[in-house]
Amino acid sequence: MAKQQKKLYALTGKKKYGFSLPLTDTIKIGKRKYKIMIKEDEKHGTYILWKNRRYPVEIIQSRQNKFEILFNYVSYSFTIETPFSLKRKQYLSKEMGQVEEEKILAPMPGKIIEVLVREGTEISRGEPLLILEAMKMQNEINCPVNGTVTSVNVKPEVSVVKDDVMLEIKISQ
Amino acid sequence: MKIKNILIANRGEIAIRIIKTARQMGIKTSVIKTAAEPSAMYLALADNVYDDTENVSEIPVFLDIERIIKIAIDSGVDAIHPGYGFLAENPYFAQKCADKKIVFIGPSPDSIYKMGNKTIARKIALAHGIPMTMGSEGKIPTENEAVRIARNIGYPVIIKAASGGGGRGMRIVTREEDMSKMFRLASNEAEKAFSDPSVFIEKYIENPKHIEFQILGDTKGNIIHLGERECSVQRKHQKLLEEAPSIALNDDIRKEMGQMAVKIASAVGYFSAGTVEFLFDSEGAYYFMEMNTRIQVEHPVTELITGIDLIEEQIRIAEGKELRYRQKDIKINGWAIECRINAEDVQSGFSPAPGKIEQILMPSGENIRVDSGVQAGSVIAANFDSMIAKLIIYGRDRKDALANCKQALDKVWIKGTKTTLPFFRMLIRNPRFIDGSITTSFIENELTGYHVNSEYEEMLAAWLATWLFVDENLDESNLKINFEETKNLSPWLLNKRITRH
Amino acid sequence: MDTDGKYYKAFKKRLKMLEQQQSKEKINKQHAKGKLTARERLDLLLDEGSFEEVDAFVVPDTQGIEFGKVEKNFGDGVIAGHGKINSRLVFTYAQDFTIMGGSLGFVHANKIAKIQEMALKMGAPIIALIDSGGARIQEGIASLSGYATIFNNIIRASGIIPQIAVIMGPAAGGAVYSPALMDFVFMTSYTSYMFVTGPNVVKEVLNEDVSFEELGGAEVHAKKSGVAHFIYDDEENTILGLKKFLSYIPSNNVENPPKVEETGKTPDINKKLLDIVPDDPNKAYDVKEVIDNIVDKGSFFEISELYAQSLITGLARLEGRTIGILANQPKVLAGVLDINSSVKGARFIRFCDAFNIPLLTFEDVPGFLPGIDQEHSGIIRHGAKLLYAYSEASVPKITIILRKSYGGAYIVMNSKNLGGDFNFAWPTAEIAVMGPEGAVAILYRKELSESDDPKKLKAELVKKYRERIANPFVANEKGFIDEVIDPSVTRKKLITAFEALTNKWVEVPSRKHGNIPL
Repeated sequence: MAKQQKKLYALTGKKKYGFSLPLTDTIKIGKRKYKIMIKEDEKHGTYILWKNRRYPVEIIQSRQNKFEILFNYVSYSFTIETPFSLKRKQYLSKEMGQVEEEKILAPMPGKIIEVLVREGTEISRGEPLLILEAMKMQNEINCPVNGTVTSVNVKPEVSVVKDDVMLEIKISQ
Repeated sequence: MKIKNILIANRGEIAIRIIKTARQMGIKTSVIKTAAEPSAMYLALADNVYDDTENVSEIPVFLDIERIIKIAIDSGVDAIHPGYGFLAENPYFAQKCADKKIVFIGPSPDSIYKMGNKTIARKIALAHGIPMTMGSEGKIPTENEAVRIARNIGYPVIIKAASGGGGRGMRIVTREEDMSKMFRLASNEAEKAFSDPSVFIEKYIENPKHIEFQILGDTKGNIIHLGERECSVQRKHQKLLEEAPSIALNDDIRKEMGQMAVKIASAVGYFSAGTVEFLFDSEGAYYFMEMNTRIQVEHPVTELITGIDLIEEQIRIAEGKELRYRQKDIKINGWAIECRINAEDVQSGFSPAPGKIEQILMPSGENIRVDSGVQAGSVIAANFDSMIAKLIIYGRDRKDALANCKQALDKVWIKGTKTTLPFFRMLIRNPRFIDGSITTSFIENELTGYHVNSEYEEMLAAWLATWLFVDENLDESNLKINFEETKNLSPWLLNKRITRH
Repeated sequence: MDTDGKYYKAFKKRLKMLEQQQSKEKINKQHAKGKLTARERLDLLLDEGSFEEVDAFVVPDTQGIEFGKVEKNFGDGVIAGHGKINSRLVFTYAQDFTIMGGSLGFVHANKIAKIQEMALKMGAPIIALIDSGGARIQEGIASLSGYATIFNNIIRASGIIPQIAVIMGPAAGGAVYSPALMDFVFMTSYTSYMFVTGPNVVKEVLNEDVSFEELGGAEVHAKKSGVAHFIYDDEENTILGLKKFLSYIPSNNVENPPKVEETGKTPDINKKLLDIVPDDPNKAYDVKEVIDNIVDKGSFFEISELYAQSLITGLARLEGRTIGILANQPKVLAGVLDINSSVKGARFIRFCDAFNIPLLTFEDVPGFLPGIDQEHSGIIRHGAKLLYAYSEASVPKITIILRKSYGGAYIVMNSKNLGGDFNFAWPTAEIAVMGPEGAVAILYRKELSESDDPKKLKAELVKKYRERIANPFVANEKGFIDEVIDPSVTRKKLITAFEALTNKWVEVPSRKHGNIPL
């Protein structure tokens, strides 16, 4: 594939960064080129050396072409696309439209221990929504998106079965 | 009496903090090893370690009064320092220590009890003419009573749990229609969190600053204050950054509020270290909120501007010694800022990010103090708090402190888990923070982002992601497949496989 | 030969005709849907210049059509041949949607059959890139019998050469059975779908409105039905994933899987393993962390990641050599075995067994999922599949018990007497007929009901139970666990153990085949 690809794009939700292949260790900013290096040592762990400064870097997740990178303490999510897959994404988003609502389904049968949000609560990705006890284990159910809680269908002591809609969230853009 | 050894009924950075001062005073320290963190940093620094890893009780040891007393007696210590949190403000614990003739390094059980119950505290404050928000007095028996009280006070009001804080059992009510429901919700939550459904109602001050005064008192009745701290940088009632002194106070107000703080502490015959909290509104009026009868997380900023070691003072006071300072001896010098660096993901609502610290390099220098309970290799578990380190910065004045803080934050190097560091780097550059105008509602209501957005850095991260993708998938040289191996079977096996049928 | 002469010219002209068949218009139409053309897919899949096409010029029988029309074309809607992937010979066919919707006609089917026969003769993997509207209606029964031939060939080659299907477009009606019969199915999100009966018929018969995506899209098959083992966002990544996957498996059932240069730096002694399993048996953790810290860095390739998530299956490497991994996932349903996970595990084990891939099992399972739903749906039958597969497998089998291992689930997960070659346990292992809470409640029911502090008594009894029965040392003393090991040396232990098992061979009594519960 390397022979055919001339360019790759790293996409975040809002921006697109293009890199020519083969990938070099220099990045051009304006008229100047700077060298970027991936390094590792015992004292610092893995880091990026750029313009004589060390930036801590961690790969939080890497799956197929999706990467979550903690760069200088801020986490960024990227998908790497080829020019063709980028066009495909655009075509699909037209066809599929935007997803507005997120239903939080019970992942397994169990009992609700605590509900941590109410209708109207604004919630961020990763924040806990409720505690579900199942198989003697307490599971914190976290919110997968940023948004606002539009409906809470459960309360403590209520039992749920798999795929019961426990909460509904309106996704904020 | 002289205290010769102390059992520290706590862990993490405060345990290390207490050990440090105790060592300087020539006092031996004992700590408790738990199964949850058997290789915690504080264990290596104490003189004695009591191994509690076999404990199968459902109650964690730091909340288990009987067990701690037993450990104290078995270890033959003179005194117990409860640190902050856990049992630090539990009057029964303090009483039990007294019963067993173990010195409790803190105030009397009576003052802990009185100040611990918000309704009693308010009554005392009222009786002594301490400015307070208008509020309910005594128990609120019914929802209807709650509505009546609220109507009297005037909306907006806030319902608070009488026996605890931290946001639990707390509800802000803006309209009468919501009052009954909120009263019920708050009471239930308070019951669940503090085993006591009692709540009280007070006027809700919008966008206040949180100003607290450090109190020191001895058993001879001398009480002084060591100036104030401003803790308005809060999120969901959790403090993130504190400074001393506060840019909102001038010398007159400081003197007045300080006197009020001393007054209420005197009203309960307070001794040891304590903190009186006030809300400070946009008009410069202040209202007593509550008193915390323990040493607080943010005590270092007071120590830096007064030059006084609060833990040392606590120990001296516990020994029965008289305070060495009068109010006029307390001088405020310079400015201090403390950043609480926690293992939390600021991009996901500050959700806890437990993990193992791979590397941690904290800045050092003249104006820098680091109070930490973790080192490289430490695991930040979900059981305890998510604190990694407190970065405390000193400066000649606020401007200088801010500049030093900015520099120091840029030198922090932590790897292994997400931290609140990007939040502080953003905050230190935020104009509202710089001009000192922020209030307790700032973080939740006015900030749109919790970290600096650097396009530059995003691009570098994008390059890295692309590099990883290429390395994994497109770099053919990376996957050298040895096909010879596939055919390199022992004759034994090859023969068997071929003649299988 | 004169390259300007008539023979050569005619030859060149024909090649040109083939090229022009793939008109710019047709290519753009395919691209506009976010799909690549068949030739582009083959280009991505195979090493540069290695593709040798077979039957490029076959033409459909346009005369014998009784109903409708079939346009004349070269190739009849499928491009087939052989090539190399990372220097390994593979046989492959890619259906061409631009030609009659990639529909399967008699000649089309024959071409595929040809490739299948060759792959079987040469002992090389076969890869099907499916993008077809289904059977060609105009050709009637001939199309259907074409499918039958293809299915027959898949079955004849099953377990002898790896067969992988990549769904990159529609696969409906009878066409779905090719992928179903093959070893693994890759699907591309949103632009591919599989179902036996399409939305139109569903609407007609049941008056239910359902879209292609909802009925049989990639997500449905990756998460709900388990038919798709791998799902990717786009075609390029699907093919990259496939190539990566191939590097783990051998070309046929006589060879060993290939070895790669170990690139990672997974240390043989790894203290991180001590921190992953919590001491509290009711706390969940991610078993993938355990796996990642033991196998070669980054080498774990999960299979059926989104389906039956309480059991993890996948391939990985130890010192560059492929192993198959099964692991209970405590994070999902507390790691119980249920119908779906039993079947998922069983199929995976049988694939590894057929293709000489040793098996490594990480165990932390409290039992089977209880409930009317499971019982009525036959957990008995399906659980038995997992048992059967483990016992039947004659590849090296190693099990490590990380934490819980109770009752029937203990037996099923490759226990010693079921045929485990080496059975290890971590000190946190709890091996018993029943969990401590349940066991104590039954054995000491009387004492507990008569006690004044039952909670305290129960806690004490549970502690005693753990010390006397439910710990790995007891099992070790009785020989059911070969060794209780320090978690940090697990990798080293495994490498040595698998090395010892390299030439394992088990004699199986001669029979046509066993009768695995289905």
